[in-house]
Amino acid sequence: MTTTPPSEHDIHAYVDGHLDGPHRSEVERYLARHPEQADEVQGWRQDAQQLRALLAGDLAPAPALDPALVRARARQRRRTRWAMAASLFLCLTLGGIGGWAARGMGSGRAPMADAMQAYRLLALDHGVGLDITTGNESDLRAWLTGRVGSDVRLPDLADAGFRPMGGRLFATDQGPAAMVLYDDGNGHTVSFYVRPPGPARHMLSPGEREEGGLLANYWSSGGHNYAVVAMADRAGRSAAERVVGKAI
Amino acid sequence: MPDPRIDEALRTMLPRLRRFALWLARDVHAADDLVQSAVERALSRWHTRRDEESLRSWLFAILYRLFLDGKRRATRYAALLGSLHDEEATWPSAERVTEANATLSAFAALPVEQRSLLLWVSVEGLSYQEVADILQVPIGTVMSRLSRARRALRQLGEGETRAPSLRLLK
Repeated sequence: MTTTPPSEHDIHAYVDGHLDGPHRSEVERYLARHPEQADEVQGWRQDAQQLRALLAGDLAPAPALDPALVRARARQRRRTRWAMAASLFLCLTLGGIGGWAARGMGSGRAPMADAMQAYRLLALDHGVGLDITTGNESDLRAWLTGRVGSDVRLPDLADAGFRPMGGRLFATDQGPAAMVLYDDGNGHTVSFYVRPPGPARHMLSPGEREEGGLLANYWSSGGHNYAVVAMADRAGRSAAERVVGKAI
Repeated sequence: MPDPRIDEALRTMLPRLRRFALWLARDVHAADDLVQSAVERALSRWHTRRDEESLRSWLFAILYRLFLDGKRRATRYAALLGSLHDEEATWPSAERVTEANATLSAFAALPVEQRSLLLWVSVEGLSYQEVADILQVPIGTVMSRLSRARRALRQLGEGETRAPSLRLLK
């Protein structure tokens, strides 16, 4: 009888023991008449059996890889990643806010502390030590223009009862500063202080602060930083208010 | 809301996955990392599994692809670094094991795909359809690749080929 050679599928199925009775004997009959192929197939069967037996030893429990543990580790890793991202974000935010708040403050000093120092230096001695002593506003304006800048406007406080006494220059970290001292004839003095913003171009938002019995109002305008300093008493307060109102 | 049935199903497959990973990676630590990644991926993609798909072929496929991806990456890095080492890392016990048996030594020397194929079919007893699903090829292609793998194993395992195949491992 003639038999067509079994398909590749059937040969492998025979090797792997997937064939049912009739199919298996069909393949066996064919191989009986084709010894060369029978040898090969027999070799494949041996190899498969050997592999199965040899690799059985590699089956070992792996408690460390239990799904519950894998799940927990993945969760932990996600949480750690989240925490790291959150803390990185926090660091950047705090650093950013801190840096922004500290910008231009130099060594952490309060705004226009130099203006208050200048006032303390001169006004309390009522003008002793001024570089230029004159009540003439155009002389003072010319003096300011030459030293600090031509665009600095000197406030006219005549109607508020204050007259200029003179001015003095200071050297600051931010550049040359000028202070013009005003006096109302009743022992009250107000200083008008101007200087460049410095290399950090630190512009001030208008503000007011008190320190050591002095009151400082400060603001920025036209590329300069300004401060008006007076005693922190009632007279000083109203005088400062008038100067600021005039100057801004 | 971890489903205990999912964990249980994975747990029963763990030793088989690990054995497969060992024969792929040929390194105990790499194999454990591989299984860990495969289990993680299986857990996160459980809902994408089709019901008619057998769990073992699905898991074997995940692990096999993870391994191939990792190998591709490693090869790329090695090429970047300008030094292509032996592509197969040695499994510490492999030499000892392979010395003991010609068939094992031949099996260890086979290319990854042939090794996987024989492990799935001869050792794990996967159906040809399951293997076709893993490799995403028609069943006829599985048959011809299986013939090639079986011949290669025969050839490598016969007589004098033992010494050269040992050299391959180093």
